[in-house]
Amino acid sequence: MISATSNVAASETDTTARGPLVLLLVSALGWLLVSGVLALIATIQLHTPAFMAACPWLTYGHTQAVQETAAVYGWAANAAFAVSLWILGRLGGAPLRGLGLLTVGTVFWNLGVAIGIVCIMLGETTAVPFLQMPGYIHPLLLVAYGAIAVPGVLAWTGRRQRATFASQWYAVAAIFLFPWLYSAAQVMLLAAPLRGVGQAVVAAWFAQNLMSLWLVPTSLAAAYYLVPKLSGRVIANYDFAPHGFWALLFFGAWTGTRHLIGGPLPAWIPTVGIVTTLVLLFHYVIVALNLRAGLGGGRGNVVLGFVSFGLAAYLLGGLLDAVFSFRVFAEVVQFTFFPVAQYRLAFTGGYSFLVFGAIYYLAPRITGIVWPSPGLIRAHFGLAVLGTVITVVSLATAGWVQGKALGDPATTFTAIAAATRPWLLGATAGEAILLFGNIVLTVHFVRLQAATVCPAWGSISTLEASAS
Amino acid sequence: MSSQPDPKSKPGSSFSDEELLHVHEESVAHTTDDGGSYKLLPLVLLFAFSGLIFFGGTYLNLFSGHFDPRIFDERALPHSGQIEMVKLDPVVYGKKLYESLCINCHQPTGLGVPGTFPPLAGSEWVNGPEDRIIRILEHGLQGPLTVKGNNFGAVPMPAVGAGGAGWSDDKIAAVLTYVRQAFGNNSPPVTEEKVTEIRNQVGTHAPWLPADLSKIP
Amino acid sequence: MKNGPLLFIGIFAALGLSWAGLALGSNAQLGGLAPYYDQLENRAFPERAPGIASRGKLVYQDLGCAACHTQAVRRAGFGSDQDRKWGDRQSYARDYIHQERVQLGLSRVGPDLTNVGARIKSAADIYKLLYQGTSAMPAFPFLFEERLAMAEPSPKAVGRVGDREIVPTPRAEVLAAYLLSLNSPSDYPVEKADNTIAPAKKEGEHK
Repeated sequence: MISATSNVAASETDTTARGPLVLLLVSALGWLLVSGVLALIATIQLHTPAFMAACPWLTYGHTQAVQETAAVYGWAANAAFAVSLWILGRLGGAPLRGLGLLTVGTVFWNLGVAIGIVCIMLGETTAVPFLQMPGYIHPLLLVAYGAIAVPGVLAWTGRRQRATFASQWYAVAAIFLFPWLYSAAQVMLLAAPLRGVGQAVVAAWFAQNLMSLWLVPTSLAAAYYLVPKLSGRVIANYDFAPHGFWALLFFGAWTGTRHLIGGPLPAWIPTVGIVTTLVLLFHYVIVALNLRAGLGGGRGNVVLGFVSFGLAAYLLGGLLDAVFSFRVFAEVVQFTFFPVAQYRLAFTGGYSFLVFGAIYYLAPRITGIVWPSPGLIRAHFGLAVLGTVITVVSLATAGWVQGKALGDPATTFTAIAAATRPWLLGATAGEAILLFGNIVLTVHFVRLQAATVCPAWGSISTLEASAS
Repeated sequence: MSSQPDPKSKPGSSFSDEELLHVHEESVAHTTDDGGSYKLLPLVLLFAFSGLIFFGGTYLNLFSGHFDPRIFDERALPHSGQIEMVKLDPVVYGKKLYESLCINCHQPTGLGVPGTFPPLAGSEWVNGPEDRIIRILEHGLQGPLTVKGNNFGAVPMPAVGAGGAGWSDDKIAAVLTYVRQAFGNNSPPVTEEKVTEIRNQVGTHAPWLPADLSKIP
Repeated sequence: MKNGPLLFIGIFAALGLSWAGLALGSNAQLGGLAPYYDQLENRAFPERAPGIASRGKLVYQDLGCAACHTQAVRRAGFGSDQDRKWGDRQSYARDYIHQERVQLGLSRVGPDLTNVGARIKSAADIYKLLYQGTSAMPAFPFLFEERLAMAEPSPKAVGRVGDREIVPTPRAEVLAAYLLSLNSPSDYPVEKADNTIAPAKKEGEHK
């Protein structure tokens, strides 16, 4: 039974928030393309170092840093804001408030990221992974974030129902954890850097928690929302969902230091990271248990297909993290392309796919009309899956080959470069396919927005009010 | 899974947001046994979690160096007792000290400069009682003295102890040990404890006269 | 979970515990590490880099060298670091106490650079590598100036291409000075004593 009041409330949330959310999504997609181009350049430079070598802006150190920044602070951040705010607004049962602040915050956030990226290319970088933008940009971003988070916090504290849903826990966790993480990292790495290798510990903690405590909760909020909505089934074994949530928060926060194994640190620090990555498997078991209805593939619904692939990639990523953090494997794959492949699996395969699913779900609802071309959605899905699989498999194989060769003291680095070259060419191909798929998405989204003005661009049917 | 259609599923249509909230609240509240699969799951999960914690805890115990900040190799364990510090060889140390200061006057060969700086090679002072040479280094030497039949004393010897160059007791002991077995000398080493004993015994003193020193056995 | 404040406290506790344990805990243990005074050498190790090398470190950071080069030698038996002569001991925390920006590095597309100053002795070798690159390393031609070669070659010229000579810019010079200064001191007695173990015990091996 669908009540009339929830209908009106839902569409009010969607229509009033359309402007700022579309702004966030357009920014997100723009950064997605920028980071895609940069990722392409970076992978080309790995197998052909002479590519763009004469340009001081685009030396590999810069392209790697800028690609990472644009992907996380550009694409991932804007998409996370849009998805989490929309979900909190929907589940809060009232239109989002504080939209003016949201718009201002979005503008300054993206301005800050753009300036930061140009500065990195000019050579003014902090040289801290995932905090590469110069030190004066980060406080600006933090303040802009404060403005962006206001609607989300208000939607949570002002929620109409006392009962809460898993998506809300994850979205609220993401909204609060990011600024705490970000400010702690800014203080301990930039403003008053720790002495010696303490910097490496905090940098590893921060880099991991950007993923585990911010991006992952956002994508899981989307997954927990979309799976029951799209499959029409209640989440299975939902009474264990809180266990999965707390396991992610309490254990996931410690897993970052596993990358520092063998490093100039007291042995307990990487060991704690390895152990907590193992115990974190419990969280993945719970998520798989809960969302297994969404794992079965699209069943004709391509949005569910995105969610399905995203969940599968997320779960596989967790398993690989746990297995490959042990010393017997870490000895081979540390400092190779393999951790890069693991990161791509979690970021592109896990996070991006779940957020694509969320975007495909929410965009018609905030715009008021359906996507103009289901064919373009399927095209994007196919390209994204193909690109992700090729990139991850190529990088992982390149990493394994590189790791084995590094372990043999007689192999020179030019020989290693020759051995990994074919796999890196594969990674370039995968990045190109991903970029092409994301261009398809962006064009389609622009077309969707344009169709409100110029109906000829849209499809014939409009979104029925009864569909939620 | 039960064979009966799940009354809470709505194939073909979807939940509204309010329904989403309520339906999941109900699913948590009404978790009674449903074909037997419910009762087993919490136990399985509990065992799985406990197993992970147990394995993780064992691993942590084995490879964390007991959280000691000095353990960088994960296979090592903290030392419970004293750490043996590598003892500095006094001859090697003394040679370095000699070359940093004494060499300017007594020369690299230990032969000194005739008429100005006395030799150390084969010197009866160097190979004589250690009480005397400790005093010479601590407080200096002035006045005419005879070394191997030759007269010296025009240039006084500066103190290298607390009143002069400020060398600590172990440095004085080291350089004396070195000199007593270098340049052809072969005399027993001088210990740091002996230097400390003499320094405490004598306190501050003006540069010694050779005549006063000769009275010390 | 209906309790909003409890959710908030739980989220804060989760982050706070990990922050306290990792960031504060490691800082409590490592923040007070002092240089080791070697009586024989009469110096404290690690030594601070000379000024020109510090400027070179900034160029190293700006160019993003840490994307392909690490600066941490792993212990013997864990990888081939020491077999490749990248160091004769594992790097310890004490080696990094004077570094303003610790650049442990992300990956090894190129060799580890902790002790590169012991392996490469002349700046000319570094300039050649930076100017030409290899099949694994990009060239950095923007770090060099090409000038018309006169009758008397510039004392700083590192090569000649046709009628032009190649002169390193100040950025290249300080970078070379930095790389040549990278050389870890010999073993610290405390760390060495604590991290020497008897027969190695592999994971899972029973007594």
